[in-house]
Amino acid sequence: MSASIRFSLPGRRLSVRWLASALAAIVGLLAAAGGVTAHGPDPLVGSGRWNQDQALAFRWRTGYVPTSAIQVAIRNAAAEATATRASQAASFAYNTAGANLIGYGTGATCGVNGLACFTRTPTSSFTMWLREQGHVYDWGTLKWCQAYSTPPSGCYDAENIALDEFGHVEILDHHVNFSSESDYGDAVVQTKSRTNPIAGWNRHAFGRCDVATLQVQYDVRTWTAKYSTCLSLATTLGLTSNPSHVASGGTVTVTATLKVANDSSYVRLALNPLSGRVVTLQRSPHGKNAWATVGTMTAGSTAGTYSRAIQLTAATDFRAVFATPTDEGLRAATSATVVVAVP
Amino acid sequence: MESRWLRWVGPGVIALGAVGSFATATLGAGPRSWAPRPCSGGAAERTAAATLPVPTALPDLGLQAWFRVDPVIDGAGTLQGQRVSLGLDGVRAVRTMDLPPESFASGPFGRLVLIGSDDGVASRLQAVDVAAGCAWPVAEESAVVRRATIDPAGELVYEARVDRASRVDLGVWSRPLDGLAPARSVLPPIDLDDRFGRTFATELSSSTDGQELAVESCGEVACRTRLVSFDGRPPRQLAEPDLGLVAGVDGDRIVAYGACRGLPCPLVVTDLASGLRQVLAPEAGLADVVATSDGPRLVHETLGADGIGLRAVGLDGGSPIDLGPLPAGLRLMAAPDRGGSTTRLPHDWVLLAPDGRLPVDATSPRPQLRHLTDRTTVQLDEVIP
Repeated sequence: MSASIRFSLPGRRLSVRWLASALAAIVGLLAAAGGVTAHGPDPLVGSGRWNQDQALAFRWRTGYVPTSAIQVAIRNAAAEATATRASQAASFAYNTAGANLIGYGTGATCGVNGLACFTRTPTSSFTMWLREQGHVYDWGTLKWCQAYSTPPSGCYDAENIALDEFGHVEILDHHVNFSSESDYGDAVVQTKSRTNPIAGWNRHAFGRCDVATLQVQYDVRTWTAKYSTCLSLATTLGLTSNPSHVASGGTVTVTATLKVANDSSYVRLALNPLSGRVVTLQRSPHGKNAWATVGTMTAGSTAGTYSRAIQLTAATDFRAVFATPTDEGLRAATSATVVVAVP
Repeated sequence: MESRWLRWVGPGVIALGAVGSFATATLGAGPRSWAPRPCSGGAAERTAAATLPVPTALPDLGLQAWFRVDPVIDGAGTLQGQRVSLGLDGVRAVRTMDLPPESFASGPFGRLVLIGSDDGVASRLQAVDVAAGCAWPVAEESAVVRRATIDPAGELVYEARVDRASRVDLGVWSRPLDGLAPARSVLPPIDLDDRFGRTFATELSSSTDGQELAVESCGEVACRTRLVSFDGRPPRQLAEPDLGLVAGVDGDRIVAYGACRGLPCPLVVTDLASGLRQVLAPEAGLADVVATSDGPRLVHETLGADGIGLRAVGLDGGSPIDLGPLPAGLRLMAAPDRGGSTTRLPHDWVLLAPDGRLPVDATSPRPQLRHLTDRTTVQLDEVIP
């Protein structure tokens, strides 16, 4: 089942069709050229997911051990994947007893092209290969920047490439860029890798559109965690008053509940409570539709709730407002009006 | 008791030392490179060598040529050369040729394996008759010959070239198998297309029906395929940036992976005549288009948390068959553009090998053959006479 989901980039807002299942790959292939999901969160490379926060330990493949410089690059990339996933996606770490093999040279699972490749069989195992220094392609000879004290022009950064591979292992397919590739920096997981010194050649952190898909598939780490700005998730804001009526001069406590909307395309993010946000309470004389801001509501005892106590002398309408934040991928919401009667 | 397989590979192990450790082998520590003697005979004999029929039954495997290409990497992790291992399925000896980094092997074509090597000054192409233990030169070019193949009639060699200085694509050329006539251009360089990026690799193969040459030009991830008819019809092209390596071509149908950097990856058949696409496998592992008694079928791995399985399906998506799980450590031997090794098998059989590559040492597990209709599985060393 597909669902409509809106994703945004700075200065523009796009509507795209997105599938939150393995069918994404199939539909992408069935689509006309260029008709695939564009400029949003990375597509999915397959349907299988790792367990949330599954720890994936890797070791070097016997007989195909990377050079020490490449080992360092791969270990760094593993740490960067873990540190910048901003979600409960799998983590990676080297361990001499690791069940997942990473090799250097030629692996049967790699084709003739490409700089590196992987296999993934969640929740069981993964493999990864990086081509050897000096591998000859049609265009020329592969140079890993790590093989030089001063990276030469045209070399590929093994750390960046390995981070791309770890992204694939997680579940990410190649980011779909604008034709200008002005959004290349939004993702590390890219169809075309860049060489020194082209911008992005040595990026060592997942981009916001990599993170967006990881969050959708694996969930955020806490209810206060920021959502990737590559997302544009609808939110819902509920409002209640306790008590629902009060004598003149009495006090009511108004409580708002902020959540990510219940959309199946949001997968693990749907209905997530949103804590640590700014929710504003507004009031109006009952039936007058003359809204005035009361102030910011304070965090409640339950995740995603915000409350404020207020003394009333007349019947009052209340509503809560969540404005679109500039630093994360959530959309604004306004609660329904709650009437507090003052007999 | 020593198995036939071990007897087959045993001498190779002795000769090669730790072939499985190529990745960390020091150049020069291996065996002396085999230099085949010159073959005798003329064009007819050479065509006959290239057109030895596909084996019809498992006992015929004993005379089938095989090869495997391994990189030779020095202690600093830099490619120093390619080691090509050659042999016959039923013969003990394994021959090895140490070649420069820019080298390749293709085939087998009947008894022949094409070996291309470039020393930085010239590219040389030779046809090795593995059964006869001899070879003849096919070409020596100042341009770089990146890949070559032999047409199903065993008469022409097709070669993909790039310019030595600029590495610009020079297209596809053909020449007689005996190498006695100059090459002629049969396909121009592929157009530049930013959707695919610069060309990383060009692969040449024949369609399963033997009517067309498939020229696959791959960027870092996505590939374009041009089909060149052996009978002079205009070339056809499939150029979709969401498609990657080709698993096989049959008539109007091109079976290709999605533009994936790894596996699993969708396998899609595109009908060039209609332009229609069909997903044959949404998440496939290693794969090959295999000749069967019912026509070509796609055989592919299924990758799951509970292990790797095998499945076959018609190129029209029909008659899927679950071929059961793969033993631990064995993978489907795919096309040589993935595994760098291959041999020819009778119809309806596939080979399961360690990491999907023909082994040149005696490490377990032992390769197996599996039948595509009745799932019969036999050890390779039990059927080689």
